[in-house]
Amino acid sequence: MTLTGEGLQPSEFAVTAARAVADCADLSLREQARHLANDGLLGVMASHDVGGLDLPLAFAVPVVAAAGAGLLGFPLMEALLLGRVLQETQPRTAEAVVSGEMLATIAWQSNVSAAREGESVVLNGWIARAACAREADCLLVRIGESGAALVSTNSNGIVVEDATGLDLAVPEHAVHLEGVTIPAANLLPENTWRVLCSDANVLRAAAILGSAETCLTLAQEHASTRRQFGRALSYNQAIRHALARQKLGLEGIRHAITRSVGDEAGALQRDAAFLAAGVYGSAISEGALQIHGGMGFTWDVPVHRHLRRVRALQAQGDASEVLAALGRRYVGAIAPASDVTASR
Amino acid sequence: MTVIETEPPAAASGDLSGEAYRVAMRRWLRANLPANFRSDSAAFSPPTLPQSIAWEAAMYRAGLAGIIWPKGYGGHGRTLREHLIANQEIGALAMPESVNSIGKELAGPIILAVGTEEQKRRFLPAILEMRDIWCQGFSEPEAGSDLAGLRTRATRSGDTWRINGQKIWTSGAYRAQRCLVLARTGPLEDRHRGLAMFAVRLDAKGVRVRPIKSIDGRESFCEVFFDDVEVLQSDALGAPDEGWAAAIRVLEIERATNRMYRAWRFENELRHVISACKADPVLAQLVAERHYEVRLGEIVVDIEVLKAHVETAVDALVNGDRIGARGSLAKLHWSEAHQRFAALTLELLNQASLPLHPAVQVARRRFEAIYLQARAETIYAGTTEIQLGIIADRILQLSKGK
Ligand SMILES: Cc1cc2nc3c(=O)[nH]c(=O)nc-3n(C[C@H](O)[C@H](O)[C@H](O)COP(=O)(O)OP(=O)(O)OC[C@H]3O[C@@H](n4cnc5c(N)ncnc54)[C@H](O)[C@@H]3O)c2cc1C
Repeated sequence: MTLTGEGLQPSEFAVTAARAVADCADLSLREQARHLANDGLLGVMASHDVGGLDLPLAFAVPVVAAAGAGLLGFPLMEALLLGRVLQETQPRTAEAVVSGEMLATIAWQSNVSAAREGESVVLNGWIARAACAREADCLLVRIGESGAALVSTNSNGIVVEDATGLDLAVPEHAVHLEGVTIPAANLLPENTWRVLCSDANVLRAAAILGSAETCLTLAQEHASTRRQFGRALSYNQAIRHALARQKLGLEGIRHAITRSVGDEAGALQRDAAFLAAGVYGSAISEGALQIHGGMGFTWDVPVHRHLRRVRALQAQGDASEVLAALGRRYVGAIAPASDVTASR
Repeated sequence: MTVIETEPPAAASGDLSGEAYRVAMRRWLRANLPANFRSDSAAFSPPTLPQSIAWEAAMYRAGLAGIIWPKGYGGHGRTLREHLIANQEIGALAMPESVNSIGKELAGPIILAVGTEEQKRRFLPAILEMRDIWCQGFSEPEAGSDLAGLRTRATRSGDTWRINGQKIWTSGAYRAQRCLVLARTGPLEDRHRGLAMFAVRLDAKGVRVRPIKSIDGRESFCEVFFDDVEVLQSDALGAPDEGWAAAIRVLEIERATNRMYRAWRFENELRHVISACKADPVLAQLVAERHYEVRLGEIVVDIEVLKAHVETAVDALVNGDRIGARGSLAKLHWSEAHQRFAALTLELLNQASLPLHPAVQVARRRFEAIYLQARAETIYAGTTEIQLGIIADRILQLSKGK
């Protein structure tokens, strides 16, 4: 793909990404990395210096949505984010990630302490929800409140546990770090994690949008072809109304994402997009399963794979804490009413 | 008419845009909104009709009504984005609903779309200056969700129509000068063909208006009876059988862009209930608990999603798209979100400590009214079931056949 970055529309990426995702179906993780990199998809947000396209977050949205729709089994969001996170301090690693040479991932949950020892830093603790950590070359770990460290997975003291979690296509691992020594240069600046999470939440919403859209399409097709009582399921108002609600949810996710990457967007809009996607996305995929009846509960109907992914993404972003924090911030920012007038 | 003394309408001039326009509108509203209009204030007492009329006329002069209508018809000729900005500022303050929203948000747009030049010049400035308050006479006892079944009949002889029949649930008819009447010109079997729309004067001979008491204790809607009411052709809106198409267009507008300030008003309500809770020791502790943090967080997400629906609709309209059936998405979302929120406010305020803090009393009065009024929001402008049907039929295009 030849791109200049000028006059590009995010939607143009949707087509390329959908095709690339379909092509990845039977490839190994490494092959997928190179394949996606060839289409320019891993470097959408990374700078030109490390081989990226240097485009804003809005351009990664359709790419990740296409990956969700096609159930891509690759830690795409992580690669997209790492290319940019590492471009300043670890340009070589960033370049390797963007070009698909190196497989990198992020541990979305962690409890890791870092102790400085001369030119090195020693890490101890646990991490979890690290997508594809078993096969990855390196992973990004949160340190303290908002710092981060890049760890090579073949370092001594790393034990990768068997995968857990609902998403089978992108298995999540827990990892134990026992006295893992990394160069001090691999410690990323304070605040790295905060920025990363904020972008990640928008991309999770995008991935869920893709999954939810596929689920609704499957449910719609099923409702118009499956016949009971001599008529298509879609003849029944209960089914029509269920699908209409799913459509309302889907458009809610879509609009909330659009808003979250707009000029005036901040943390509130991003959190809202992620939370809305989690709630509506689960409802849409669960509803699609219901409309498929007994077939919906089978392995063959792909709806469960989407449901698994939506739930995994909701958990990776720690939706329940984000929601509580949103309420807490809101409550905290408002002064108590005086006797005379309540609000101004 | 009571005259409300207001500061000069500095912002009505055309040379402000974007943030400057927002600031001017905000300043004007905050400087001029009478204290007793604010339902989040201890000074609140519902405005009288003349007070409301004077206030809305002042808002118009300040540039806050007829924002996107052409200047030739009394409008301010501004953009839809500025209309949105003004609505955000209107929503931020706990002010009463317009007594002429049917005129400004339904009758006006339809007259702009299908009215004659003469009708535009006659009707539109009168709406903005609050000389004509309008009501909407669509629903009938036998035709609610199924408007195509309406029976009120209009028969023509020469330049005069005669209207016979009955309307119901006509909000604000008792205070209105004009009613936008949808009436049948063809046979009942024709369903939505042969329906016409009229601007009927409510002081015309043969019109009788009877208020109906609603659950909030107010007489907000009415029955309207038409007994051989004479209407001149010059008050017929659009061609005789264009009535249905015009009605659908009206309803789409009603769903998509009407009271565009809603999300921002909900936010004002949310701030109000939180500030009231924080004034009470028991409630202050409750809203700091995780359970209520989560539930308030859910309301914030609802509000943000509503903003996203509204802003997307504005973007689409700015790009020249017709909203069509998509108006149902926003309508469905806001009506249900507001009901969820209203129920939560009651639940919270009902747990206040005794004696009631004055701020809690103010909030209770406001939110008990909001709770009751919100029950209507999933009924008027098309019920929830009707919106779901529209989405299924016209957006998802699900087959209904065998
Ligand atoms: C506060 C308020 C103000 C109003 N103001 C006005 C006004 O100013 N002007 C005006 O013209 N009208 C007004 N209305 C009327 C309003 O538009 C109607 O009440 C509404 O369209 C529903 O019609 P209905 O009351 O006849 O109920 P019905 O149509 O009889 O519906 C009763 C119930 O059955 C459901 N239902 C009906 N048809 C179907 C279907 N096909 N599938 C599934 N469920 C269905 C409905 O959703 C509802 O739950 C107002 C109503 C209220 C409550």
